[in-house]
Amino acid sequence: MTTHDSTGSRARHVPRKGPNRVLGLIWAGFATAAVVGAFIVPAHILIQGVLGPLGVPSFDRHYGTFARALSNPLVKLYLLVLFACSFYMLAFRVWYVVRELGVPSKLGVGLVSFGLSAVGLIIAGYLLFTGP
Amino acid sequence: MSPTSSRDASQPRLDGEARATAPDRVSAQMPARTGEPAIAYPVKQPFTWWTRRRGYLLYMLREFTAVGIAAWMLLFLVQLARIRQGAAGYQPLGGPLFVAISVVCLALALWHSYTFLSLAGLFMRIPLGDRTVPARLIARAMFGALAVVTVAIAGMLIWGGA
Repeated sequence: MTTHDSTGSRARHVPRKGPNRVLGLIWAGFATAAVVGAFIVPAHILIQGVLGPLGVPSFDRHYGTFARALSNPLVKLYLLVLFACSFYMLAFRVWYVVRELGVPSKLGVGLVSFGLSAVGLIIAGYLLFTGP
Repeated sequence: MSPTSSRDASQPRLDGEARATAPDRVSAQMPARTGEPAIAYPVKQPFTWWTRRRGYLLYMLREFTAVGIAAWMLLFLVQLARIRQGAAGYQPLGGPLFVAISVVCLALALWHSYTFLSLAGLFMRIPLGDRTVPARLIARAMFGALAVVTVAIAGMLIWGGA
């Protein structure tokens, strides 16, 4: 494992002792989030974002049905997973793309992207678990 | 030797001297003495490198899908915040603009699903006797699973609102 990248920064090859487990965990998290997101995200956008406003019944169109669904802890947990997958995918892909566009700071971009992702997830958790 | 270089291969290169090797500003540095740690080859790409080829453009579009998905999730968060206003104050997001944004986000989400599930056949190795399950079959199974999961979730969302 080396520290070189394609962003123009002048880095030296620094041999790493053993595998980079942190990077491996980050990649594993991305693979999981991307697969789960690929399966469950389109249905939500289709029903809640497109068909719901056009008249198809959806659980979030009325207060009663939305609040009743959110009163179920499993629904809250499921929606938290939905938000977590989406925000994690965003953080991971921004982390790579921004550097591929020429920003040299791997750590800085990572902190900002994953930090904002964590903030979004915390807000989602707060809204889900403290709401009606 | 690069065609853009001004000296031939017989001439020594000074330590730390950068050498242009291509018109697209690719430069390289080699260690002058053995025993020094090897130096990476920095490649300076222009900001618009992803517009050069269709494949690069599709790659960048694939990466951009995460932005569309997260943007729609932010709208969903707004809806979650609105429910705290109670039954009288709750107003779900709607209107042509919201639907238009959702259609764009749906297209991006489907592009993410298509590109990522297509990869499943490449990195999954399922032994089948002395062979492995063909990659194309795995990808088709993933798309079938996507259809089943989408129908199931859509049914739950509609049933919850009925």
